[in-house]
Amino acid sequence: MNEFFHMGGFGAYIWSAMGIAALLMVLEPVTLVFRRRSVIAQIKRNKRLEERRSNNEKN
Amino acid sequence: MKINWFKYSAPMNFYPLAGKLIPLFWILAIALIALGLYWGFFKTADVLSDQRQYYRIIYVHVASAWMAMWLYAVMVAWAMVGLVFNTRLSFMMASATAITGTVMTVIALATGAIWGKTSWGTWWDWDPKLTSFLILLFVYIGYIALQSAIDDVRRSDKASALLALVGLALVPIIYYAVNCPDPNECASLHQESSLERVESNILIAMLITTLGFWMYSFATILMRVRTIILERERNTSWVSKLKEFNN
Repeated sequence: MNEFFHMGGFGAYIWSAMGIAALLMVLEPVTLVFRRRSVIAQIKRNKRLEERRSNNEKN
Repeated sequence: MKINWFKYSAPMNFYPLAGKLIPLFWILAIALIALGLYWGFFKTADVLSDQRQYYRIIYVHVASAWMAMWLYAVMVAWAMVGLVFNTRLSFMMASATAITGTVMTVIALATGAIWGKTSWGTWWDWDPKLTSFLILLFVYIGYIALQSAIDDVRRSDKASALLALVGLALVPIIYYAVNCPDPNECASLHQESSLERVESNILIAMLITTLGFWMYSFATILMRVRTIILERERNTSWVSKLKEFNN
């Protein structure tokens, strides 16, 4: 197991390379989830304001 | 039976289709990357004739580098479809592809630098392949920056489409920057990338991981285009009828 992480002395290089790739490939979809949530919240808010405005005009 | 070939070119129809495909692509991405890396670490020799264990960075480096170039071509293709047919969704797809392409370019540059340090002794060199790849990163960033700089959506789509088209000249330069026939005529650090000379287990692992990166790109690009559709089409009636807004 230790031998696997040590990788003949090059472990730091190999695992940091894999680590950078893994980090970016996790961060990207996570930021996408946040972006989607923020758009949905915005649209919901606009919808509420629209409905409230049209209700006010009716009354 | 009449087939409507353009049904999915409407954001309203593409949105739910993309939603169904995304989990499928995630599963494929995780499975293929896991399989590729397993193959690459456990079915291959520890030491090669000219490289030690650090050669295994190849699986992530080559996959991301190929994706960076391929996604650029895909981005340009969507931009061209948008310019020729004036379809909104094409420009949205081009826009969605840009960021994933940038991420792949950054991964390729970072993993390449780490591999370079171990095998050539240097993090960086201004050789043709590395330099043109760095320029590819700048063009990706330029595309994204130009898009956000112009307020009017139609104008920003068209302007960035033209920028992307000009940058397309870079892709063959990167590809040929090292594969020149006579090594005495090109002073390049990055070695010739000929697949025939790669040992078969390493090649298999590399190709499987690349396929996994492809699936990852599909997943993230479809996720992004769904959000872009919501952002751009927010005032349409079909969006207001979606179940995200009616629960």
